[in-house]
Amino acid sequence: MSDPAERPSWAVYPTHSGEPAEGGVLGRSERKVDGLSRITGAAQFTDDLVLPRMVHGKFVRSTLPHAWIVSIDMSAAMALPGVVGVAIGPELPKRYGVIPVAQDETAMAIGKVRYIGEPIACIAAVDEETAHRAARLVRVEYEPLTPIFTIEDALDPSKPHIHEASRKPSNILRRVFQEYGDVQKGFAEADLVVEDTYEYPGSTHVPLEAHVALACPEGHGKLVLWSSTQNPHYVHRDVAHVLGMREQDIRLIKPTVGAGYGGKCDPFCTDIVAAHLARKLGRPVKIALEREEVFYTHRGRHPARMWLKMGFKKDGSITAVDFKAWAEGGAYASYGVVTSYYLGVFMPLPYTLENYRFESHRLYTNKPPCGPKRGHGAIQPRLALEMHVDRAALALGLDPAAMRTANCIEPDTETCNGLKVTSVGMKECIAAVVEASGYAAKRGKLGPGKGIGLAASAYMCGALHPVYQNELSQSSVQLKVDRSGEVTLFSGTADCGQGSIHMLAALCAERLGIEPDDVRVIEGDTSLTPVDLGSYSSRVTFMAGNACVAAADKVRDKIARAAAVKLGVEVGALVFRGRQVYVDAAPERALTFVDAVWLAEEMFGPIGEVGGYKPHKIGSRFRRQSVGPSPAYSFTAQVAEVGVDVETGVVTIEKIWVAHDCGRAINRRVVEGQIEGCVYMGVGEALYEEQRYRGGLMAVPSLLEYKVPTVHETPEICTFIVETHDPNGPFGAKEAGEGPQLSTVPAIANALHDATGLWFTKPPFTPDVVLAALTTARRRAGSA
Amino acid sequence: MLPLPRFEYSAPNDVRDASRFLAEPGSQLIAGGTDLLVSMKQRLFEPRHLVSIRRLGLRGVTVQGGVVRIGAATTLAQVATNLTVREQFPALSDACLTVATPTIQSMATLGGNLMLDTRCLYYNQPAGWRASLGYCLKREGTVCHVAPKGRGCYATQSADTVPALWLYGAEVEFQSTRGVVLRKVSDMYRDDGMAWHGVGRDEVLVAVRLPLAEARVGHRKLRTRQAIDYAQVLVAVRAPVADGPWAAVISAVASSPLFVEAEDPTALAEAAFRASQPLSTHLPAATWRKRMVRVEVARAAAALGDGR
Amino acid sequence: MSEFESPAPELGPGRAPDGPAGDEVIVNIDVNGERVRRLCSASRTLLDFLREDLRLTGSKHGCDVGDCGACTVLVDGVPRLSCITLAVEVEGAVRTIEGCGPAEAPIIAAFDTHVASQCGYCTPGIILCLSHLYTETPCPDDTAIRRALGSNICRCTGYTKILAAARQVAAANGATHTDEPE
Repeated sequence: MSDPAERPSWAVYPTHSGEPAEGGVLGRSERKVDGLSRITGAAQFTDDLVLPRMVHGKFVRSTLPHAWIVSIDMSAAMALPGVVGVAIGPELPKRYGVIPVAQDETAMAIGKVRYIGEPIACIAAVDEETAHRAARLVRVEYEPLTPIFTIEDALDPSKPHIHEASRKPSNILRRVFQEYGDVQKGFAEADLVVEDTYEYPGSTHVPLEAHVALACPEGHGKLVLWSSTQNPHYVHRDVAHVLGMREQDIRLIKPTVGAGYGGKCDPFCTDIVAAHLARKLGRPVKIALEREEVFYTHRGRHPARMWLKMGFKKDGSITAVDFKAWAEGGAYASYGVVTSYYLGVFMPLPYTLENYRFESHRLYTNKPPCGPKRGHGAIQPRLALEMHVDRAALALGLDPAAMRTANCIEPDTETCNGLKVTSVGMKECIAAVVEASGYAAKRGKLGPGKGIGLAASAYMCGALHPVYQNELSQSSVQLKVDRSGEVTLFSGTADCGQGSIHMLAALCAERLGIEPDDVRVIEGDTSLTPVDLGSYSSRVTFMAGNACVAAADKVRDKIARAAAVKLGVEVGALVFRGRQVYVDAAPERALTFVDAVWLAEEMFGPIGEVGGYKPHKIGSRFRRQSVGPSPAYSFTAQVAEVGVDVETGVVTIEKIWVAHDCGRAINRRVVEGQIEGCVYMGVGEALYEEQRYRGGLMAVPSLLEYKVPTVHETPEICTFIVETHDPNGPFGAKEAGEGPQLSTVPAIANALHDATGLWFTKPPFTPDVVLAALTTARRRAGSA
Repeated sequence: MLPLPRFEYSAPNDVRDASRFLAEPGSQLIAGGTDLLVSMKQRLFEPRHLVSIRRLGLRGVTVQGGVVRIGAATTLAQVATNLTVREQFPALSDACLTVATPTIQSMATLGGNLMLDTRCLYYNQPAGWRASLGYCLKREGTVCHVAPKGRGCYATQSADTVPALWLYGAEVEFQSTRGVVLRKVSDMYRDDGMAWHGVGRDEVLVAVRLPLAEARVGHRKLRTRQAIDYAQVLVAVRAPVADGPWAAVISAVASSPLFVEAEDPTALAEAAFRASQPLSTHLPAATWRKRMVRVEVARAAAALGDGR
Repeated sequence: MSEFESPAPELGPGRAPDGPAGDEVIVNIDVNGERVRRLCSASRTLLDFLREDLRLTGSKHGCDVGDCGACTVLVDGVPRLSCITLAVEVEGAVRTIEGCGPAEAPIIAAFDTHVASQCGYCTPGIILCLSHLYTETPCPDDTAIRRALGSNICRCTGYTKILAAARQVAAANGATHTDEPE
């Protein structure tokens, strides 16, 4: 079998503007600059850090889903030798949350618990075993309240409010309604209307590294906080806010992070309480969550009930889409306001659509809070939309691939809801997977119990508008050039494994004609690195990458001006490549990069530059469309081939072909890895993973019972990179870390239909569910 | 980090010393520890004193007088790759290779597998979780969450090697200060999730004895993932010896393995299906697990051919 | 049999030789070629012994109950889950990712080349598992590679690049080992 990395691109730069890769770094398929430190265990994760006099914090957590806290008796815990301090919720009364309009969370419960597993108190002790033992000695007396566990109950105005101060009629965090075009007219013009409901399960991220925070008091009321976070900037802001400290008195450091997938986007109780206890006790405090606690901390995929109605013309074009979604969000808002928008705003991609309406609700229930998980809010509706497209194609006698291709939006268009789309590689993606998989020849012809399915999708590259209103850079990068030729790159980004450290090193190296290894990336340290909003919404390559190129351009300019004088040519005649600066027309007239740096420092003084990025204003037709618009969009198509064991209901995925338009690939191997990771996570959501509850109790808080796929369940993944050149991306790059997950589950669902003739509308497609459906269908067929 | 509770520890040199330690309340034997230490972290067991088997020398496979004797401390990986086992008892080798993960197979012991505590979705959980749900009958509580109106605890026998050992006619050797006792695998287990065996607390499982015979046994384990997971349905099927019947042992559906016999594979699968009454001790629907008993027995039988 | 087979547990302070060794024990083992001797709680797991007592933090807390493989170390060359191994029970020489040498160098290089490590949290455990695989079977086929990797959860890569790296090592071993593995 050939290594996908060795295959040529399916379509190299189909809409490429032709900007050359001057530095020779861009588009290579190579190792990451920080690869070896992670592989050899040298990388320091937060839990690997130990400080003198450090103590360990352990949370006491709620055992009821909804109750008043009558009393907390910590006397037995505090009497235990080795216990050095405690903290309870009322000590940290300030509410916080990343989304300013929905700050409803406190670090620990105050007066009331709203989900099983909610932190109530924290015990600090000299070792973890003592802290754990002490936490079990705490007695909490409750007065139970009626819990809200379902969408129906959350919508019921007669039920009690989970947030008693809420003025909403029921447990609704946010309702969004948007309508574009004339939906009624659209349906009137339709030759075919397809309507059904879908249920998407909740699932959780399962980063292998749990959430960990380590706080150390410094003199003069200052504090250093190490946190395993995706978003150092938001943690920095919220910890300062809750502790009533000045932001400049807190230094927030993000060590190496053992993945997040969206699960480390919020400021967590670990961060705030570790910081609080460190100040209270005057010594370092570490809080490392147990695996079980990570499941309660959650912020994973919202379970969503969806209703979708679509109108189609005979030729497969879409006349109207009417969509409703109810997302069950758990006890706190987290990013739920954003979720309520993301459920609807991406539906007009990637197919041409004029008449569109959606209504979404994000609800509170007495369960651990949901939040952003890879493909945030857009995963659930994509299943409904892509299954509807297949249903229409079958009903209309059209080839689902051709129908999708015919309806693809074109580059440089604006969708009905005001999304300005620049580069689009959608058709190339579809063509790549359809041809490679033999989709046309296999569809409907693989025989009983075997099937093939296709789905397409689009995703964002960062949010146009920052989470909190400001006109500042969303990403910024600082470069310092040493006389040795080493370039130090300072960035507030947070690489959680996705490769953003390498991305920054590669873009900087590309611009300066040096190697990525010549660039040392210092990231995620609020005292050293300029602000970056964080690793979410697939924004880092696009935004931090642009900031990096902006800073590198300034460095290059100074070096070029000095080199031009030395070489006696115009600046425009110079090429930066291979650690040299040389005359394009006469490569033998060259300076080493180091010599050029010396000349530049002689001319300008010490070389250090900053670059920032904020998206340019996109004049949308719709002012209210503040959540959803992105400076660019990525596109994915994938084909899944599945087998169904008709005796057991076990679904096996034979192979997945995936093609992703990531704009320009910076390091092809890293891009492939992101795509493959997305597909893997999609396979988990399609067949295995579900954040199940028994009442309000998360039923399977372990890696034994929460079934993340192992190597055995992961299909062969055949990856194609489709490169477009986005006019606004750094060297044309877009994103690869989230978009490819959107179409995995619908491709599998459509393949299941091809295999069984049944539409499975409620993942995960577990054997018991599949076999029950097959049995019912066989009975019906038998009685018909 | 999920810490272990504190305990005292000994590693005696002699089985009689171990037996003497174990006679004391609060003592607990530790072999590979792959299940015990997890349960201790979850506070299902909080023994005061752990007594290790590691210096008792209970390792290795020997053949003597038509009997293969496997030391209790032999790891599952060692059992699985032992040439005699692979040739004479392939279903045992297969069963060992389905336990959890290869790394666990190289830690866990055969004796430990035979003494694997019965399992349940509501029992094998961390302490805080069980407190939230309300402790169950098997540990600290008064109600069974699987069958609140039932007669007892329904935690399932889940040891992967047991069905195959049963059908190979294995015997288990226990030693204590009172001497050596032999128990047939087929007599060892009781259909009670709490008191699931009749072994005395001071008895040390020292070896498993397998008679060399011509039994042809097939093993199948149904699970969601092909690594990590415990069985949802576990079956071993024995082809007829001489003119005898087909036989099957079904496990992971009750607190003890179930034994059924029938004239042909179809009847065997049907008998196994009828005998199995799985409850919601596992994630997948119990009705589905019951149906799977029939499928798995039929497939195991089919893999053995016509049996003649 | 190694020289480390079945060492007697050293007694904790003030313990009688015929009773339990106590809740404190002396762990006396070989770690990455160095002899270490520490007094610690009998309940100390090998993982915490390595991480806390010896500051070897390349082995990770993933699930702490033996499901994920992030804590995998080698004991006499055989993978063990250090989170469910008592330090006092260790018989044999322990090797952690920090003690990797020439045997693991090709695996580490292949992981680097293929970007088979994203966040890196699972990677040390996988490297050690594969080290054992190639020692037993220098040129494993795909089935053997997958079987070995079944011990370790990677949540980032979808295993594709890990498999590619593992196959590359197997192929390279095939070029140097003329003897077909059994």
